[in-house]
Amino acid sequence: MNNALEIKNLLFKWNNQDNFSLKIKNLSIKRNKKVIMFGESGSGKSTLLNLISGIMSPISGTIIIKDTITNNLSSNKKDAFRANNIGVIFQQLNLLDYISPINNILLPCFFTNFKKKNKNYFYNRAFNLASKLDLKKNILLQRNSSQLSLGQKQRVAIIRAVINKPFLIVADEPTSALDNRNKENFLNLLVNICETEKITLLMVSHDTSLKKYFDSNITLERIVKK
Amino acid sequence: MKILINLAFQSLFNRKVTVFLTIISLTVSIVLFLSIDTLRLGAKKSFFGNVKSGDLILGSRSGEIQLLLYSLFQIGSPTNNISWESYKEISKKSEIDWIVPISLGDSHKQFRVMGTTKEYFERYSYRKSKKLQYQFGTHFQNTFDVVIGNDVAKILNYKLDDSIIVAHGIGSQSLHDEFPFKVKGILQKTGTSLDRLVLVSLEALEAIHKDWKAGSKIPIKGTNNKKNFTEQDLIPKEITAAIIKLKSPITIFKVQREINDYEYEPLQAIIPGIVLTKLWQIVSVTENIMLAISAMVIVSALIGLIAILYSTLNNRRREMALLRIVGASPKTIFSLLLLEALIISFLSIVFSIILTQLLNFFLFPILDNKYGIYLENNFLLLKDFYFFLIVLLTAVIVSIFPALQAYKNSINDGI
Repeated sequence: MNNALEIKNLLFKWNNQDNFSLKIKNLSIKRNKKVIMFGESGSGKSTLLNLISGIMSPISGTIIIKDTITNNLSSNKKDAFRANNIGVIFQQLNLLDYISPINNILLPCFFTNFKKKNKNYFYNRAFNLASKLDLKKNILLQRNSSQLSLGQKQRVAIIRAVINKPFLIVADEPTSALDNRNKENFLNLLVNICETEKITLLMVSHDTSLKKYFDSNITLERIVKK
Repeated sequence: MKILINLAFQSLFNRKVTVFLTIISLTVSIVLFLSIDTLRLGAKKSFFGNVKSGDLILGSRSGEIQLLLYSLFQIGSPTNNISWESYKEISKKSEIDWIVPISLGDSHKQFRVMGTTKEYFERYSYRKSKKLQYQFGTHFQNTFDVVIGNDVAKILNYKLDDSIIVAHGIGSQSLHDEFPFKVKGILQKTGTSLDRLVLVSLEALEAIHKDWKAGSKIPIKGTNNKKNFTEQDLIPKEITAAIIKLKSPITIFKVQREINDYEYEPLQAIIPGIVLTKLWQIVSVTENIMLAISAMVIVSALIGLIAILYSTLNNRRREMALLRIVGASPKTIFSLLLLEALIISFLSIVFSIILTQLLNFFLFPILDNKYGIYLENNFLLLKDFYFFLIVLLTAVIVSIFPALQAYKNSINDGI
């Protein structure tokens, strides 16, 4: 399995109506590569990520992640597959404000393999990752997450995306709201962690200046069939 | 499951103001329902509490509800009396354990005067076979002694040994002023009609009416001196009704039939429990209306609950989408909302239990002492648990709608 992600003859229509559709003949991303995908607003970047993560289902075609045809899975299995294998970071770094940062990080574990015996393992992993990203333990243990600074929220979101040792991380314009310094910090952290944890990264953005952080880039308009 | 409960709790806590208000409105409506139910049962009990004493009531032939009302509640007036001879004859029956005569017709100020015997005080019981107690004094010793109910003493400010003049009839100006009575006993509050009664002996009633005929005084010279009465003089000629207790309740219908068939005088005997049930059926319409109103209050509180769940759905779309991304299925989202409704209604029930117990603790003694409404302080009856279960179930059923909406949203909403 050289390809982390492979998409063939994909067809998606929003609510089965014709006003929006996305067709992709072929898209593949190699294992452990970091790929950035550019596209204009409304070109279907977020939709594609929703399809990859299994939140939405295509009308036809196949999506293969980790040698599994994910779009054929039952909806329960899709949800489990996503929690186990795909880490998602999105535009507004969505954290649940009303739970602690550590619980935000552990959310994917709660829905998958959180058993008594490996509970400690995941807690330790969270704290280790956090210390690598300069997040102190007491910050993670705050009662809720609304007090965190933007930079802290980003790092918590990154840790959450990798906590389950996913196979693939998809990121949806996570830097669009950041200034240059924060953008740089964020991408360095994200790229580093993907390298050390051996995770494939697919990030969508409209900011072509980010190219330098990635192994390769794709332009969505080029792979979309008209 | 544990994570869901945690999430639901923390999410609710995050929205504490609206959630708290929802819980309050639900709590208040549940407390209202429970209180009305308690009052309803209490009213019924104190209503029926008046009939604890006897198995049958003997009176002249008239409406049975009328007989019940004037003999037990002193409401309305008897149309006819029964003769002392018939009373004596009936009381000879071997099935009868005891029989207590009562005689109505006179009044004192706004209160009714009831003539009876000493036995009445021993036999009378109310609520769960509670016996009469004297706050002051004791039952009558002499002919012109009087025992007054608690309200009478309180309202007219009477003390022991005070003098009382009885008026002839009800609301009448003609007084039996040549025979003043002396307050010999003041009863403790019972919460029954007894509190508003002035009790005298049958002999005294006979004595003060010796020189009366057809409602007006016809003085006969030389006899209007109370010291002249002999025991023979004071045997009553008529009584209004009598309360009968049988040795065995099996004979109740037999004795009733025999009294109804009594050939020398038109008599009737009623079984107070049965007549009271008939009467209660009329009264209970109000009771059901009250219950229906409080049920509607609960329904409106539950509608408030769905409104809250619905209105927060839009604000929580991102929250739901995030949960989906990290692996929650649409079903999980659905159960999360149901769980929230369940928690809200469960907390409301817990609060309403605490609140009703507090109300019981502080309010019941006041109701009892001040208004004579005696309510039993039952902690929680089985029926209350059924009621709570129904509230929980209804809450879950109505929140299926917003939960379904969240389910649909979470399928369509992506990143």
